[in-house]
Amino acid sequence: MKKVLLASLVSLSLSASFVHAQSAYTGGDDLPTNPLACDGAAGEVASKPYDGGEPTNAPDRKGKTINVVDVPKLVGIGYFNATSKGIADAAKEMGTMEAKTDGPTKANIDDQITLIDNYITSGVDGILFAANDPVAIAPVLKKALAAGINVVGYDANAEPDARQWFVNQAEFNGIAKSVIDSLAAEIGKDGSFAIVTSTFTTPNQARWIAEMAAYQAKCYPDMKWLETVEAQEDNILSFNQANTLINKYGPELKGIVGMTSVATPAAADAVTQAGKCGSIAVVGLATPNAMKPYVSSDCVKSVVLWNPVDLGYAAAYVLRAAADGDLKAGATSVKAGKLGELKVINGSEILLGSPFVFTKDNINNFDF
Amino acid sequence: MANANHPTSASGRAPSERGVIARFAAAYGQEIVIFFAMIALFVIVTAINPRFISPENLNTIFSGNAYIAVAAIGMAMIIITGHIDVSVGALIGVLATISGTLAVSGYPVWVALIVPVFVGMAVNAVIGVMVAYARIPSIVVTLGMLSILRGGLITVTGGAWISGLPPEFLIAQAKPLGVPAPIYFMVALTLLAAFWMRYSEFGRSLYAIGGNPEAARASGIPIERRTVMVFVIHGAFAGLATMLFATQLQVIQSTVPPNLELTVITAAVIGGVSILGGTGTVIGSTLAAILFAAIGSALIFTNVSAYWLRAVIGVLILVTVMADMIRRNRQGRA
Repeated sequence: MKKVLLASLVSLSLSASFVHAQSAYTGGDDLPTNPLACDGAAGEVASKPYDGGEPTNAPDRKGKTINVVDVPKLVGIGYFNATSKGIADAAKEMGTMEAKTDGPTKANIDDQITLIDNYITSGVDGILFAANDPVAIAPVLKKALAAGINVVGYDANAEPDARQWFVNQAEFNGIAKSVIDSLAAEIGKDGSFAIVTSTFTTPNQARWIAEMAAYQAKCYPDMKWLETVEAQEDNILSFNQANTLINKYGPELKGIVGMTSVATPAAADAVTQAGKCGSIAVVGLATPNAMKPYVSSDCVKSVVLWNPVDLGYAAAYVLRAAADGDLKAGATSVKAGKLGELKVINGSEILLGSPFVFTKDNINNFDF
Repeated sequence: MANANHPTSASGRAPSERGVIARFAAAYGQEIVIFFAMIALFVIVTAINPRFISPENLNTIFSGNAYIAVAAIGMAMIIITGHIDVSVGALIGVLATISGTLAVSGYPVWVALIVPVFVGMAVNAVIGVMVAYARIPSIVVTLGMLSILRGGLITVTGGAWISGLPPEFLIAQAKPLGVPAPIYFMVALTLLAAFWMRYSEFGRSLYAIGGNPEAARASGIPIERRTVMVFVIHGAFAGLATMLFATQLQVIQSTVPPNLELTVITAAVIGGVSILGGTGTVIGSTLAAILFAAIGSALIFTNVSAYWLRAVIGVLILVTVMADMIRRNRQGRA
């Protein structure tokens, strides 16, 4: 009897959840979107006063060799290996920075906080970080500022007053435009598509998706956004989710957008194994190495990203400039070695530049 | 047994009539529950969207978690024996990297596929010896192993992805007779292990060790040797799971799916393996692994937020463990 009860309980709880059917997820936060012009005109930059933090009683570090620790979201993935390489390149070029990378082995905010806390205790001059959670990381970064440490973020931001500057790899609306433009070029201005992302609460992915939805609604109103699914940072789950989308929508599905370096190759593999290369386009954000097999087999035509080596490189230069006192509140640009002058946006952010689209012609020039 | 406590005695059926069915139900209670939950799920979702049971989607559902099911076979044996292993996810990551590295270094494909099985056995032999002879609790040993493997993997690979795998290496992509290869693996290994656990002296002794170690020792079962052996067998299943995990996509990541070990343990527990040891079957763990995939797919087909997947699995864990406790209490009183 109990067994029957159990079975009905399980199926009941399942069917109860079906009632809450909802429309496609198009971004997890309530922040306003700012879609770029459809024709590619430059976006407006609203001027905004400096809203970053300041280190307390920082010693004079101008021109002196500084000790810097880089704490990415996690270590061991191609992306953060590339940013780490950029930081090392910049440190070597400057000759006045000792930089090392140390991060959690999983993208776990608690591990990341513990790590940063340990480095504050052991004493460093500068911290570079890519936050696993913008809010949860803030207290430990403020502690670092209070200890006189220069703090600069890259890739994933913290609350502005918890760090001095943030190097923005690409504005969200810029990436969104690149992705949707590439997608429209492949599936047409009235194609239907679905998204595979990591989780609905991952800050970068949530913003990109919100901007993509806004840009698509503005510039390609006849495209149809079918669905957004979560796949963690799990390659086999991403593959299964992409397969399920292909099975669910059949010929209606014309394109899949992958939002992470894990989801995009897995989606490309699902399309390949389903024999749908050419009828289902895969566009996405991913590191070039992961996409090389699919780009060289012509199943994937465009992979959108920025150059993470440049991102790490710029972050190291921004930290150096902040430590030297050359980059202060109110600055409008900063010199970043071979990258030249980078623009200050949003009060306390440095913009790396336009996104980069990897294609069959250039993808083999990159190794990360 | 005191009949007053028996759930079916109230129905007033003759003892002979309920004999076979009741014994089957007692032996496979949880498996039956999962089976019917799965049927209910298929019926409901298919009513909403008939494409749910298209051959392609059935392939996706049944092959999607095959590597988890295979790893959960070994995990079920470990838990039945009264132990736990939280390092299996990291082990699969390490084995996948070894496998992929061998494959791209020009070793024959069969070498690249079989070496992880032996490495998995060797790693788990170390765990088994520390658990059985040094008497360190398995949760402690495997937590240590988890850190060693995960840290070692990152250090050795530097996080680089492996690509350029030879096409014949990608055995999980094969579809003999239109059915994905992982399904054959999963079904064959599950049946083999189920028969072995039920009918071999060795398999039955694992239940005895997990259920009542003192009694098992008194009856002459060499507990230490068997404990090492069951860890070694579990290592072999981790190697077999790697064969499916590493060959599904054209690239191998140097990171493993987050919380893979927990997913594997959850499959075993929801499949009816008592977390206290002594009961459960590998058929249950395989059914549970398939159920997870079916629920995940069902949520997409019915436009329900994937957040529910975790909530539903959480409910399943609680209900299962509670049912297990109730069962034990009743048996204790009887």
